[in-house]
Order: sequence, then C-alpha cells, then structure tokens
Amino acid sequence: MTDILRIRDLKVEFVLPHMRVKAVENVSFRIGAQETVALVGESGSGKTTISQAIMGLLPKSAQITNGSIVFADPKKPGTRVDIAMLDRSGAEMRSIRGGRISMIFQEPMSSLSPLHTIGDQICEAVRLHRKVGSSEAKELASDMLGLVGFPNPKRSLKTYPFELSGGLRQRAMIAMAMVCRPALLVADEPTTALDVTIQAQTLRLIKDMQAELQMSVLLITHDLGVVANMADRMVVVYDGRVVESGLTHDVFVNPGHLYTQSLLAAVPHFDMGPDERLRPLREIKPKVDSLLTFCGDKDTSEQGGDVPPSLALHPAMASEPVLAVRHLYKSFAVRKGNWLKTEEQEIAAVADVSLTVNRGECVGLVGESGCGKTTLSKLIMRAMAPDSGSILFRGESGQMTELTGLNEDQLNPYRKRIQFVFQDPFGSLNPRMTVQDIITEPLIIHGIGDASYRKKMVLELMELVGLDPRFLNRYPHSFSGGQRQRIGIARALTLKPDLLIFDEPTSALDVSVQAQILNLLKDLQHELKLTYLFISHNLAVVDYIADRIAVMCAGRIVESAPREQLFRNPVHPYTQALLNAVPFADLDHLLDFTKIVDGKASDPRRWPAPFTIDAQSDPRMVQFAEDHFVRAARADYQEMAI
Amino acid sequence: MLTFLARRLFVMMPTLFFISVLVFIIIQLPPGDFLSTYLNELQAQGEAVDPAKIAFLKQQYGLDQPLWQQYFDWAWGLLHGDLGFSFEYNLPVTEVVGDRLWLSVVLNFSTVLFIYAVSFPIGIYSATRQYSWGDYGFTLLGFLGLAMPNFLFALILLYYANVVFGTSIGGLMDPEFINQGWSFAKIMSVAEHLWAPVLVIGTSGTASMIRRLRANLLDELGKQYVVTAHAKGLSPKRVLFKYPLRMALNPFIADIGNILPQVVSGSVLVSVVMSLPTTGPMLLAALQSQDMYLAGSFLMFLALLTVIGMFVSDLLLAWLDPRIRLQGGVSQ
Repeated sequence: MTDILRIRDLKVEFVLPHMRVKAVENVSFRIGAQETVALVGESGSGKTTISQAIMGLLPKSAQITNGSIVFADPKKPGTRVDIAMLDRSGAEMRSIRGGRISMIFQEPMSSLSPLHTIGDQICEAVRLHRKVGSSEAKELASDMLGLVGFPNPKRSLKTYPFELSGGLRQRAMIAMAMVCRPALLVADEPTTALDVTIQAQTLRLIKDMQAELQMSVLLITHDLGVVANMADRMVVVYDGRVVESGLTHDVFVNPGHLYTQSLLAAVPHFDMGPDERLRPLREIKPKVDSLLTFCGDKDTSEQGGDVPPSLALHPAMASEPVLAVRHLYKSFAVRKGNWLKTEEQEIAAVADVSLTVNRGECVGLVGESGCGKTTLSKLIMRAMAPDSGSILFRGESGQMTELTGLNEDQLNPYRKRIQFVFQDPFGSLNPRMTVQDIITEPLIIHGIGDASYRKKMVLELMELVGLDPRFLNRYPHSFSGGQRQRIGIARALTLKPDLLIFDEPTSALDVSVQAQILNLLKDLQHELKLTYLFISHNLAVVDYIADRIAVMCAGRIVESAPREQLFRNPVHPYTQALLNAVPFADLDHLLDFTKIVDGKASDPRRWPAPFTIDAQSDPRMVQFAEDHFVRAARADYQEMAI
Repeated sequence: MLTFLARRLFVMMPTLFFISVLVFIIIQLPPGDFLSTYLNELQAQGEAVDPAKIAFLKQQYGLDQPLWQQYFDWAWGLLHGDLGFSFEYNLPVTEVVGDRLWLSVVLNFSTVLFIYAVSFPIGIYSATRQYSWGDYGFTLLGFLGLAMPNFLFALILLYYANVVFGTSIGGLMDPEFINQGWSFAKIMSVAEHLWAPVLVIGTSGTASMIRRLRANLLDELGKQYVVTAHAKGLSPKRVLFKYPLRMALNPFIADIGNILPQVVSGSVLVSVVMSLPTTGPMLLAALQSQDMYLAGSFLMFLALLTVIGMFVSDLLLAWLDPRIRLQGGVSQ
C-alpha cells in the first residue's frame, strides 16, 4: 500500500516577540491510501497544529522548524511534494489545499459564510481547482449536494447557511470539501458540535464518501468512541508529541503507553458494573470536614450563627421526594414570516413533563439540543414561570411546597435550597472576582454566617473539591477548565442545597478531566448525601452517574426508567435511536451504520404507533414495567400513577 | 421586499411629523419672539417705537395667533414647498437660502464621500497589517484627527495656506462668482475651494471610521469561515475581499445615518471660521435673532437628511445581508 502522506520529525514552534514556544515536536506518522487515521489527543495536545501544518494554514507566528510533510498525490504517480517547504499562500500550496487535500471543521455554524449562498461557496471551490464553466460548476455542486443527502440539491444551491439546520450545514461543509474529489480529507472534530443522532449520520456519510471517492481521511478527535468506529489506525498525541500509534484494534486491546491506558480508562462505557469507577489521570479525593456534614452541631452553630439545618440523611427520609414536577408546560412565541406577513407561532419547549427526584438519588435527564431540557431546569429553578403545571419542592419545613405561584420574595428561601452548576466553566465565573469572593457570594447574598464562618466554609469547600486553599486569592483566568468547574461546584455547595442541578457540567471538558469531575460528583454525593438532577446529552456520562434516567425529546419526557433497565431494554423508538447512534469506545460494540437512518429520529410525528404524537394522538406516560414508564397510547398499560 | 420599502417609507412620515413639532416647540421655547427681540434692540438704540406699528407687524407675521395655528400654517406651507417668511431679511425663506442649501448639500456629500474613500483603504491596510509601522502611523494620525477640534484645524490651514502659498482658501468660490449665475467657471471655482473644508470637516469622521473598520475587520479575520475560505485554496486577497470585508461592511453602511447629521453639524462651526456660504452660519444667526421660519426650515432640512440617510442605510443593509432580508424564514 502506498502512503498518501508521510510526516517525519515534524516540529512546529510559535515565535513570539520574547520567546519561542514549542507546539509540536518529533511527530511522525503516515496515512496510507484510502485509510482512515485518527489523531487523538486532548485540548492543547497539538493535534490541531498538526492539521494546520498539513493544510498550510498555520497562523503567521507559527513556523515549521524541522521535519517534512511529504504528500504523494495518487493522481500524479511518482511526484512527491514536501508541504513543509512550500510557501503557505503560494500557488502550489493553494492548488493542493482545497483541491487535493481538503478539510472540514468542527463548527458547522460558523464555518460557512452567512452572506453567501451554499451554491456560491461550493461552486467557488470547484472553479478554483477545475477548469469548468459556471453552469458546469453548478451541476457538479448540486450532484455533490445530492450525494451528501440534501433532499433537493438544485434548490439548496440558492439557500443561505442560516436557513439550514446544524446537520445539513455540516453536510454542506462536507460537500464543499469533497467537490474537488480530494485525495485526503482532514476532518477536525467533525461531529463534536452535533447531536448524537446527527453525529452518527455524519460519520456514516464520511465513511460512504470515503468509499465513493477512494480517499484517505485524517480524523482529528478527542472522542475515543468516534475513533473506535471510524479509524483503521490511530495516533495518540500528548503535549505535542506522539506517544503511541498503531492499528486501532491493537491500541484499544493492548495500549502500550501509560497515557493511552489512562485515556481509555477515563471514558465511561455501558458495560461498567455498578461499583466500577472511571480512572482519571489525576484523582481528586474529596475531604469532608465538620461544617458541611455536622452543621446542626452545637459548636459550629454557636460559632456560625445562622446555620442552615443538617443535610445528613436520616434513614427514614431516604425515599421521600425532594422535587416533584407535575404536568409542566411552557411554550414560547416565535415570530415567523417575511416582509409580507408575520405570524406568531407557539412552540412548546416543555410539554406535559412530570418528574420526581427523591432525596439522595441522582436523576439523569437525557436529550438532544433543543429538546427543552435547559428550559425545564430553568423552570425548576423558577428562573422563569411555567404556563401551567406544578412544581412541588420540599423546603426547610419538610413540607412539599408549591413553587409555581410564589413571587420573588416568597421564593427567596427556596433559592438557596436549589443550586445550579453551569455548562460553560469560562462564562459562569465572574472574571473580576477572586475565588474566595465567588465561593462566599451565596453566603453573603443570603446573609448566612459571619466572616469567620464564611472563611472556614470556603477553606473546607476548597479542600472538598481538591483545590489548594492557597489559590483563594486568585482570579478565574488562572485556572484550567476542570478547575473552574470545581470552583463552580464549590459555589453551588456553599449553601448546602437540597437539590443540585447540573446542566451539561462536563461537555466542555476533556475526557480525563470529565472522568475526574464525574468521580468527584459521585464521591460528593456519597459523602454528603446530595441529591442531583443531572442534565446531559451524553448517554454514557448519564449512565455512569445517574440512578434513574429520563429521556426527553421535543419538550416531552418519552421514557424514564432505572439506569440498568433503560439501557438494557429501551422501549421507545427515540431511546432506541439514541442508543443506536452512540459511538462507544469499545471495539466489541461498533455502530451498526445500517441501522442509522437519515432524517430526524426526534420528530414525534414520525414515530410509529403507539408512540406517534401528532394532532390526532397525544399519548400519556404509561407504566411498562416497575419503575419503567414510556409515553405511548397503550390502553392495556396502566397510566403513570401520580 | 416591496412591502418592506413601503412600510419603511410609511414610518418616515410620523417621524418627520414628530420632528417638525419638536423643532417648532424648541424654537418657541426661549422667551419672546422675533419682534420682541427686534424691539429690544431698537429701544436699546434709543429709538421710539410706535405701539400701533408693533400690533400691525404682529398681525402681519401671524404672531398674534395661537401657537397651534402658527404651527399648522408653517407645516402646511412646508408640505407645499413654501418654507415661510424670514423676518430678518424681509424675504421668503426660499430666496434667503438660495444657493446655500445646495452648496451645503454638495459640501456635506463630498465630505461623506471623502470619509469613505479615505478610511476604506486605510482601514483594510491597518487591519491586515495589524501592529505594523504603517498601522501605528495611521493610528497616530487617526487619533490626531479625532483629538483636534475642527475649527482649530481650519484656522491652521487658513494661516499656512496664506503664509506659505499666499492663497486664500476661505469661502467656497472666488469672490467674483459670488451672487453670479451658475457657469462652468463658477463650478470649477467651487471645486477648487471645496477640498479645504472637506478635509477639515472630514478628518474626525475619517479617523473614527478607520478605527471602526479596523476593529470590525480584525474581528472578522479571526472567524472560522475565513479559515474555511483559505482551506479551499483561495488566494489571500480574494479571501479578504469576498468574505471578511463583506461582513465588515455592515457597520460601515449602518453608519451612513449617523455620519450625515454629524457632518452637517460639524460643518456649522467650520463654515463660520472659513466663511463658507453654506446654511450653517445662517442657521446660527437665525437662532440668535429668533427668526423662527428660517431656523425651522434649516432644522427640518437637517432632520430630513438624517431620516433619508437612515432609510438609505437600511435599504443597503437589506440588500447586502441576506440575514436581514430573509429574517425569520428558517427552514427545517
């Protein structure tokens, strides 16, 4: 087999006014004809720099100081071009870039210009590399759009990117990259920003196109699940160096390097036993101290003044519900139309959602983007008011209280009982506040404790989430994403809440950091008897942390069951579609690409009976087995008891 | 698109109506009117004033009528192209204003053109060669232009033109053409004189426009779709002109509505300093002497200019940016 690309001893440095920073060093690997090679690494590992070097797209300050990138074009046998030696914006490089090697990017939203039609942007690529007229270019472009699965390619040429869904945009992007029939496709995290079902469709598309065009693929990703399902060989990079490379099978079965081993051990998968733990690169051992557990104790309450009651779990309270949501509805008015007419349309973000969270358990809420899970969390927080339905919450009095009718003042006591951890660790911490200010702010807002109590609490919380108390006077920018997320968790714990809501807390983090945070959350829940509502689109993560899982789609909960049962025996077609689409980092459970159907699994009108939801039928939740509920119109099943 | 046009034009009408009411009220706000100011002046000079004459004048000018009636007469006249009667000059406003209006339009229009023509290439240069010597140089010049008051710059220019070149750059034409009919020679003379005030009035606008274009373009240059365009194999120049520049144009065009009134009001002081025969100095005098129809006509003219500028920039934006044109109709 001949190699398309050979990289040898590549070294890239960033030359800054005062120093040189090594981004990549001693990187060597090769890509064979029609082969898929995965470049695996976490953020900052240098994998993007390598891809930029191949494409000749390195930023101005970056220099290739050593090594070669030899490209052997199968169309011109016998010729070899060293890309490392070419002028990055010279004519030769430009004819390779986009013509023989093309690239697709992570963000389908921002990768296409919003001001130009899809057709314009694709035809541009065609005419740049092939001597064709404009009508012929349009022909080629619409052929390619048809090939990547656009329902009406001719008409789609005239659409603008913002008129398309995320999945279709990524398809347009792929069409643009493929239209010149390149020898090598560089795909930089092509599916990271997509939902699971769309991700599976896109992966299948890349595989199909690869067979169709007989090209090689360099897949850059941090997702080992994608690697297992796509790659023939894999190259693991860490800190700018290749630490391991080989056939995907060999690396997965018998990882040689410590880093690869720990990376594989850090990915949650579905075969994990109930007590099996992820092994992150660095484990955090939470240290629980007196204030957080024994706050009802006399000493501390005298010291601390106004101290909320203990969280310590009484055996009798174990199964009492903390939160009970019943038939919650919330819809938004969306303005649609053109210059001629505007019509208001009601879109149900949350429809008939019922959910119970018992004390001490972790309930997982799974769904794709736009399914209403964040709206639901905001409703529970009472950051917005529902249209109808009830939210019962067990407050300090121990009685279930209805939250829906309360005004701001009446809500205040409940505000400190429910706390929230956000998805984006960068946006959720005020960059102008020190860590100490951030963690103590909830105490100050609710006027709890005096200065010494607060100080002690902060120190304990820092220990708890495994941060050095010496960091207290630092600002958020000096912390990594994982550390920031731990600060966010500490802040949420400050008030010792009855319910913690996590909205995608790990989706912005690397795999090993994700494992670290997940383990921390598990330990905290165990030590402090916390109650979680854990929202995520990542099924494996939810499976790892949750006791009970609810699957949400189009504003409704379609299935809910204890975690083992849901994954072993999914009943609802949407749950099944989700499970079929998740790529596992496990060579024994590869994706069955034949089962992945194009189109939207998330359209309730297309679900088969008895699950169909449309104008005619609006099924309720019925009991399928003990504790296993599904939304279906089955008269023979009992409706969910409330 | 057509309905948008119609709706946009329709909205302009109440806007102009409210502006006219405001203008009228503001002119009436200071105590007294043109006549009382005039009488005070006469009395200060020791001349006797006949009360009968005052009453006669009041009646003749319509100043004895209620305010709303005065407004109505004025607005009705405006709609029919009758700008009213200037007390001070004892002539219809149209005749008083004469060429001044058109000279103002020419001056302001050239200034806007100048701002765009100069700031565009410099802005692109500064953004694409960020932190180069050229960028620093233009930045320095830009800040100078922003910081220096227009009238000071005008004075400096006048002085040096006179001392070094021995020419007078005041006025908008050579003295022999003033109050003459339009001829080719007169037009040439105007063109000859125009550059100095355009330069003076345009500097600060140009400087701020350069800064804005530079910042916008720098933002856009870092965006993902620019990388995509590079990855296609486009040459850097074509990438720049087709993608980020096109995006950076939006604020550029949205500014037309802002720039117009800024330029117009900026030109008042400069016109006084450089004795330009534009509307500016006359507006100032009219406001001082409470010559209400004259001042009102000028202010309405400015308002019209701004409203039209906004309209034009909206149209251009809708034409340039499909997101604005096709707003809302998201499929799938």
